[in-house]
Amino acid sequence: MGNFFRSIIRASSFFRKEIFEILRQPRLVTTLVLGPFLILFIFGIGYRDQSRNLRTLFVVLPNSAIAAQDIQQYGQNMSSLFTYAGVTGDLNEALDRLHRGQVDLIIVEPVDVISTIKNNQQATFTFYHHEIDPVQVSYINYLGWLYVGEVNQQVLLAFAIQGQKDAVTLHASLQEAHQNVSAMRQAVQSGDQALAHQNHQKLAGNVDTVSLAAGTSLGLLDSLQQTKSTNGGNTDPVQAVLADLRQNTSQLANNTDTKDERLARLDKTDQDITTLDSKLTEFQSIKPSIIVSPFRSETKSEANVQPTLLDFFVPAVLALLLQHVAVTFAALSIVRERNVGTMELFTVSPLTAAEALFGKYISYMLFGGVIAAILSALLVFILHVPMLGNWWYFALVIAAVLFTSMGIGFAISIVSQTDSQAVQYSMIILLASVFFSGFIMGLEKLWQPVKVISWMLPTTYGTVLLRDIALRGVSPNWWLLGSLFAIGLALMLISWRLMRHLIATSL
Amino acid sequence: MKGNDKLTAVEQEISAPVSSSEMDQVKSSVISARHLTKKFGDEVAVQDISFDVPRASIFGFIGPSGSGKTTTVRLLTGVYKPTDGEVMVMDRNPAKFSHNERALLGYMPQLFVLYPNLTVWENLNFAASLYGMGLFRGKRLKNALRFVELYEHRVKLARNISGGMLRRLSLAATLVHDPQLLFLDEPTAGIDPVLRHKFWDHFRELKNQGRTIFITTQYVSEADNCDLVGVQNNGKLLLVDTPKGIRHHAYGGDIVDFHTTEPFNFQAEALLRSLPFVLSKTFRTGDNSMRIIVDQASTATPELMGWAHQQNINVKTVEEYMPPFEDVFVELVRPQVSHG
Repeated sequence: MGNFFRSIIRASSFFRKEIFEILRQPRLVTTLVLGPFLILFIFGIGYRDQSRNLRTLFVVLPNSAIAAQDIQQYGQNMSSLFTYAGVTGDLNEALDRLHRGQVDLIIVEPVDVISTIKNNQQATFTFYHHEIDPVQVSYINYLGWLYVGEVNQQVLLAFAIQGQKDAVTLHASLQEAHQNVSAMRQAVQSGDQALAHQNHQKLAGNVDTVSLAAGTSLGLLDSLQQTKSTNGGNTDPVQAVLADLRQNTSQLANNTDTKDERLARLDKTDQDITTLDSKLTEFQSIKPSIIVSPFRSETKSEANVQPTLLDFFVPAVLALLLQHVAVTFAALSIVRERNVGTMELFTVSPLTAAEALFGKYISYMLFGGVIAAILSALLVFILHVPMLGNWWYFALVIAAVLFTSMGIGFAISIVSQTDSQAVQYSMIILLASVFFSGFIMGLEKLWQPVKVISWMLPTTYGTVLLRDIALRGVSPNWWLLGSLFAIGLALMLISWRLMRHLIATSL
Repeated sequence: MKGNDKLTAVEQEISAPVSSSEMDQVKSSVISARHLTKKFGDEVAVQDISFDVPRASIFGFIGPSGSGKTTTVRLLTGVYKPTDGEVMVMDRNPAKFSHNERALLGYMPQLFVLYPNLTVWENLNFAASLYGMGLFRGKRLKNALRFVELYEHRVKLARNISGGMLRRLSLAATLVHDPQLLFLDEPTAGIDPVLRHKFWDHFRELKNQGRTIFITTQYVSEADNCDLVGVQNNGKLLLVDTPKGIRHHAYGGDIVDFHTTEPFNFQAEALLRSLPFVLSKTFRTGDNSMRIIVDQASTATPELMGWAHQQNINVKTVEEYMPPFEDVFVELVRPQVSHG
């Protein structure tokens, strides 16, 4: 019988031994499959994709410019975020209620708003909370930003409504200016300088009125048009038309101009008045809410499926679970051989480190693969988690995660002296994976040098690759998959070297 | 003091330079240890021991618990590297054995080192696979289990069988691949006397087939089953000899029991002590009996008969006495203990 065949037999002894030992613990296998499935199942049932609704108490201090009913109105507009818990004028009482947990948030309205703005400063809404969770604190900061945006929009809306009311008066002034231009044109044509001067005086009065009023009324429209022109629009800004109108009207008073020059100026003036009038009509036709908030966003996903939070977490859970199972099993494997005393037997026998490791790798790969297959089937066919990609690619990634995780486990096992030491090291790997693999927060939130840790963990690769395959339906990123296998190979070589040393010096 | 001098001489003999006749013996030896020392920190576990184990023999290593027997076995199997001295097993340093050479060894450690969650059969199958035994090994496994009387218990988990059964399983795992050289560290510990007897029969059968067995035991009485016996105490090898030779060393000669029909008188006892072939002490074991230590029992017996005839003493029996090995062992280690 050849040496190669004997090597296979020796490796197979470990394969059989590990499988038998695992099968002797049916509860362990059941727990490993059903445990994560039930957790995900209950999570899927129990998770509600809703923003937290905060019980909010408003504080209106003396000199506040905002009336209590307005505050209630703002609160109702944002009822998905706030539960209106009332208005009070006593900040201390409000803080007391916050500390007793009766409300979640206090919003203190700004005082002396007008004088603050006149001093070229922003008036401040103050938000008090009692949170210690950084995520909740960020959420409240975001709410504050949303709330103040809503208030600012309400202010602008009132401004736009007032502008549209003023536009009615402006129409009359522009009509009058138009008539005065016609009268002046007749006077210039007939050579009646006195009548022309009289009409010019009236026109100048109309232009002053329009300049003052249209400046505020059409300002919003003008800024909207300027925004549009940066996007390819081709409209004269209102302020430019007004400036042109004022300049022409002023130059019409100049008696040194020839008759034709004056008539030409009157035509240009008439044209500007018509332009302004049409813009005013346009301004009046637009809803005030559109004027103050002309843009909205719309999100369209190019992904083939819109996963739920559960769907999104499933690949990460699968990768983390398989990594933990493989690391723990491998970590306990060799340290137990050492504690039982079999290493002494191995030292004397013809067994090589490669044969022992090969047998263990194959048995744990098979065991992890079976767990992954059953769990994936339960998740896809019972929880209906999407699986858009190729199952072979999925299996390849699972194999890579198991292979590399076992390398970590064997390295831990060889350097550990006791079972508890091996378990502790495995727990540290698990903890690192929870924080650094993108399991609970995106990798983009980590400082670049810290990401080195992330990319040393099989869960990081597993999460990214399994999500790509299952939820995007694409092929795995071969560079990432190759890197994962390369890390696994390096760990296997390290484990082999350590194991060789261990078998040679078993005691 | 006489006994101390005798032991020192034995030690000198063992650690003396190897002569040319000894070199021939070394060449035919399967195991050859020279000035072997193993220290763990400041503690000396094995101190300067030298011995040879001839091919196709049973070499018994006896000594009390903690005398360094297991350390010696581990040095011989390459589990430990010696602090000093050298060991050759099958003409090779055991630490540098090839895989094929290791396949010729069978090693039974002192403690059970297989897997409690596997059955008796699975454990034995694992051990057989470790030595690369082929796929059709079922018959050998069955025979090994039958030999240690565990075949009926083959489906039991190792954790559910008794300590004695675990020893038997370990022995079966050591023998299953039919090794040429066996290292058995206390294989009979915890085994009932009937099965122990069966084991020793099997060991002798293996020896007759040309296998070499290095065996340690705390049952010093088992030394009688060995071809050569090494007596170890406090890490030192006191002597290596045949069981008969060991007895001879222990008492300074052979022991002869001399029974008469009438009681001995003091004059006859004094005359008996003065005989040239009577060594050291004589002991009265009864009114009509004396225990005498002689140089060689075979030559001393007819001379004793002649002397008794001359002295008109009616002899009932003259026979060589073989003291139990427990007594021999105590006799051997006593000077060491009093030294300590």
